[in-house]
Amino acid sequence: MSNTDDLIANFAAQGAEPPPHVLRRFVLPLIAVSAISAAFWLLLLGEPFTAAERYGPLPMIAKWGFSLPLVFGSAYALLAMGKPGQAVQGRLLFLAIPFAAAAALLVVDLSNGGGGFPGETWDRCLLAMGTFGPLCFAGAIVATRWLAPTELRKAGAVAGIFGGSVAMSAYAPFCPELGMAFMTTFYILPILIMAGIGWLAGPKLLRW
Amino acid sequence: MEQGDRLDLLMQRARNGDAAAYRQFLSLAATRLRSALARKIGNDGELEDLVQEALIAIHQKRHTLDPGRPVAPWLHAIARYKLIDHWRKRGRSPVLHEDADLAVAEDEFATLDIDALLAELPQAQAEAIRLTQIEGLTGSEASERVGIGLSAMKLRVHRGMLRLKELVAEDEK
Repeated sequence: MSNTDDLIANFAAQGAEPPPHVLRRFVLPLIAVSAISAAFWLLLLGEPFTAAERYGPLPMIAKWGFSLPLVFGSAYALLAMGKPGQAVQGRLLFLAIPFAAAAALLVVDLSNGGGGFPGETWDRCLLAMGTFGPLCFAGAIVATRWLAPTELRKAGAVAGIFGGSVAMSAYAPFCPELGMAFMTTFYILPILIMAGIGWLAGPKLLRW
Repeated sequence: MEQGDRLDLLMQRARNGDAAAYRQFLSLAATRLRSALARKIGNDGELEDLVQEALIAIHQKRHTLDPGRPVAPWLHAIARYKLIDHWRKRGRSPVLHEDADLAVAEDEFATLDIDALLAELPQAQAEAIRLTQIEGLTGSEASERVGIGLSAMKLRVHRGMLRLKELVAEDEK
């Protein structure tokens, strides 16, 4: 009997039933890092959404309108990318929509004079993105490693988008800053940097 | 019955606890992988290592095959990944230039009755698609077998795929 036959006999004895809680094992790391990020700011800064009392709900809608589709869209894309042979182009294209919308809003905002840049709390925002972005990226890497991604650079980049967008979603309710220039510089740019890091590190971090 | 269908059937039985079916599934998968990979790296000592690596991945990552999904696209995606990894480790280009022109999204027709669809195509186009997309031959191998040029083979595949898309769209209406 050859080594390959031995291998087959060994696997056949183990059975083909997949291990339990497949989806749960993918989702749990994503939920864990999201919960940690949200809980940290809640405990540190207290009541969220206080800026809405002064500026109304629109700034918050713009921030979450950008970040939450990216959070759910990137998680959904990672789930497909981790299953060999599944089509993922549509899910990846979906991730471009928030960026395109933000770019359009930036143009409109700048043509109206912009303003609100760099704001008074830009350093706190940068700190939030710089610390929780990598943490949430790590959660996405752990989740994706449980699956079997075959395009490691793309999956790494999407994990980076997940990390950055969760960091943004968690901090945004405590962010009093306005304006698309601020959002582009201190939220969108860090998310793109995280995606770039994921693109570069994906082949090392996700290899299986 | 196509081998892809047989793999699906065996996997379904295996997941219901039939160890013999799983053994048959792995043996058939190994045969198909050996045949496909030999065309890429030759039939040398590394081939069997690569087949074993792919089998290990198939077993360890079997939870990434959703129930009811066809096995063949999943199997070939894993084999392709392991092949590229193999090349990467040896510093060789993983780009399959010849295959790139013939590539289609693995999942595009995954849930359809391929045989029924192919029966509606002109015979030459159906044969071209069967050889390159189901049997896994390269463009050159398929053109050699049929006795036509590579460009003509690519054209047949291209036209056939376009027609298949139209048929799928008509079915969905």
